[in-house]
Amino acid sequence: MATKVTAPGKKSLQTTLEIGKAIRAYYGGIKEAQKAGKPVIWSYGLVPREIFHAADAPVIYLEHLPLMIGAKQLSGHYIQIAEEEGFSRDVCAFHRCFLGCAVAKERDPYLEKFFAPPNLIIASNLPCMSESKSFLYAADHHDCPYYFLDAPINTWGKDIPEYAIEYFAGQLKGAIDSMEEHGFKVDMDKLKESINLTKKMMGLWNEIDNCRKTVPTPMSTVDGITAAYPLIQLPGTELGVTLFERLLEELKERVEKKQGVIEDEKLRLMWFGVPPFYNMGLFNYVEKYGAVVVKSMVEYIAGGAFDPSVMDPEKPLESLAYKALVDIVNPTYTNMVDFIVKAVEDFKIDGLIGVVKRSCGLLPGYMRLAKDAVYNGSGVPMTIFDLDGLDIREYDDVTSKANLDSFVESLLANKRRQ
Amino acid sequence: MGTLETMKDIFNNPNKIIEEWKKDGKKVVGHRCMYVPEEIIHAAGMLPYPTFGTPEPIKKADSYFQPCACEFVRNLFDLALDKKFGFLDSMVLCNTCDAVRHLYNMWDTYVDSVPCYMVNNPQKMYDESGFKFYRMELEKFKKLMEDLSGNKITDESLKKSIELYDETRRLLKELNDLRKRDIPAISGSEFLRTSMASMLMPKENANPLLRKLIDEVKNREIKNADGPRILLTGSIIDNPTLIELVEDMGGVVVVDDLCTSAKYFWYTTKPNNDPMDAIVRFNLERTLCACAHPSEDRYDYLQGLIREFNIDGIIYFNIKYCHPFVYESAIFRKKLEEEVPTLTLEVDHSLSGLGQLKTRVQAFIEML
Ligand code: SF4
Ligand code: SF4
Repeated sequence: MATKVTAPGKKSLQTTLEIGKAIRAYYGGIKEAQKAGKPVIWSYGLVPREIFHAADAPVIYLEHLPLMIGAKQLSGHYIQIAEEEGFSRDVCAFHRCFLGCAVAKERDPYLEKFFAPPNLIIASNLPCMSESKSFLYAADHHDCPYYFLDAPINTWGKDIPEYAIEYFAGQLKGAIDSMEEHGFKVDMDKLKESINLTKKMMGLWNEIDNCRKTVPTPMSTVDGITAAYPLIQLPGTELGVTLFERLLEELKERVEKKQGVIEDEKLRLMWFGVPPFYNMGLFNYVEKYGAVVVKSMVEYIAGGAFDPSVMDPEKPLESLAYKALVDIVNPTYTNMVDFIVKAVEDFKIDGLIGVVKRSCGLLPGYMRLAKDAVYNGSGVPMTIFDLDGLDIREYDDVTSKANLDSFVESLLANKRRQ
Repeated sequence: MGTLETMKDIFNNPNKIIEEWKKDGKKVVGHRCMYVPEEIIHAAGMLPYPTFGTPEPIKKADSYFQPCACEFVRNLFDLALDKKFGFLDSMVLCNTCDAVRHLYNMWDTYVDSVPCYMVNNPQKMYDESGFKFYRMELEKFKKLMEDLSGNKITDESLKKSIELYDETRRLLKELNDLRKRDIPAISGSEFLRTSMASMLMPKENANPLLRKLIDEVKNREIKNADGPRILLTGSIIDNPTLIELVEDMGGVVVVDDLCTSAKYFWYTTKPNNDPMDAIVRFNLERTLCACAHPSEDRYDYLQGLIREFNIDGIIYFNIKYCHPFVYESAIFRKKLEEEVPTLTLEVDHSLSGLGQLKTRVQAFIEML
């Protein structure tokens, strides 16, 4: 019998367990909402979800289903279904997985609990080509209306010109119109309120981050990835704010007590690329060396790396447009590279782990840029190896661990020499 | 030498074009993809030069790009690192696929000798707000080209450039129409070389050559024309090897929906007193690129080709990791197959694994 090599990540915080419950409760409620006659939207992480909250719309996010079933190690089956439909193994595993869920004739009872067919799909090209194209197949399959939100790529860094904001804000207005056409009522006052709440959440996230910069770190990325869920799903909601307030409190307490994730923190690492969702225990693997993966770049996708003052409730669509356009994954490199260099310094990182998800059109392209920028900036090294965070069929436990072993050992040896 | 041979010669030795052009100290601006308006570069008195790859193996680029990026882009970057594009005064890219976006990131960071610029085009067509955004971007681009060349671009010069480029498109389309016949006047591989040579050349030279060529071949009939009629679509093809392979197997490639062929010349600019607006609309009132939306538009366009060219089979040649076409072929396949058999191939730009490809193409053609 084959030995099971994957393991769930060990969380150490109470609030992240609560966040996990909130995720399941949210998705559990979608099916009920549809049964009660509410239309359901399919969308994904970087489409500003404040517009959905303003309509009280139940939304299934493309990333979440694969993550949830990935954590249960069910993703391979659905990826296979998409491949049988003609989707090449070279396109994003998240999208293949979601498409497999979307077109499957039968679904596992676990997935069935969350799955509700779409009444409207809102797609965008931010951050990658997969986001912009794969939903077309699902829309066709479910004979469902499809709105495409076109996001300009960010060629400007932090100074986004007015005409770009105006364009993307106009696209958001188009999405709202499309929602109204298909049975949703978007409450503009609620949208403004949502912007306020998002602003608050972003401020709290920054404070949470400040706590995590302390040595020893009170929270690793195992908790961090779950903690980022409100950023992706709940900006603009009271629940998101409450969860972050609690998390901050819990972290402050730990910082005061100098309570770290592990006892004797020797090395601080950062993860760059998609985490191994089917094997989050891999993050804990390095702990035997006294190493902690303090941070993961994906925690910042859709919300993390902002100055909250960019949000103006009186200009809700423009604020959301700015937030989307400066996002670190908006696919030109300046903001991403600046962010990673700064994060490595702020979090006092000793080594960067870059993993290549072969089927991702976006993140692998940053590896060399990040490696050079970080090394040139602070002398911190980066290791890069293949690891698909979702497609367990491509996972090689022995090689992944060997890569981590040799990297961590070389970092420790360097430290000893210093 | 017949004009077909002349075109072949130009295709094989594009360096001659550059040498000739640069003799008077004029500048060359390289570009990739259709949302970089060549007319603006031309109106500034410079030569717009579409960059293509080579079949050479990649040497340096693989330590920058992961191998899971499209090999065409890695190949272009390899050439850039190797200073093979040293004759360019600037390189211009546009917002199409993930790979090209990363090409910009890499070029801008690692290639000092040739500055790189990105034209930010919308990916949504037929949208007035997108026209406005693109117009702003093109105004910036126009200014950049003026600064680079030292020449002012006037409405008049831009109109002339549009007319010149439209003439190339019209002529290429006229030549392409000769492939609609039961026995085409020009083969697929001959056409691709001609089309690419015309793209590379100054249009002042290309247009008279194309006129001459049309005259020379209009009564011609190619040999081996009794095989199935093939529509070729998919990622960029920048050398005729693949088409020759299909032809060797007995297929007759009668139309190719490629960046190096029909996508380049299918439409011409609509009359408009404001030449910048004409360019904006020319690029955003058609969905020829698989990156763009709405994709139904591309589906209708392929349907049109099937009918017009009396197609028996479609071949999607997708470069591995070319996400736009890999998605598109998966999305269209079932519907297209209701009309005509469709074969999807995923290949490396360098065509490694040619043997396996041959077997599949042969089986497909026999089946037709
Ligand atoms: S960024 Fe990469 S992993 Fe994320 S959806 Fe796009 S292709 Fe998939
Ligand atoms: S072949 Fe495909 S992935 Fe490569 S540059 Fe062209 S569209 Fe992009």
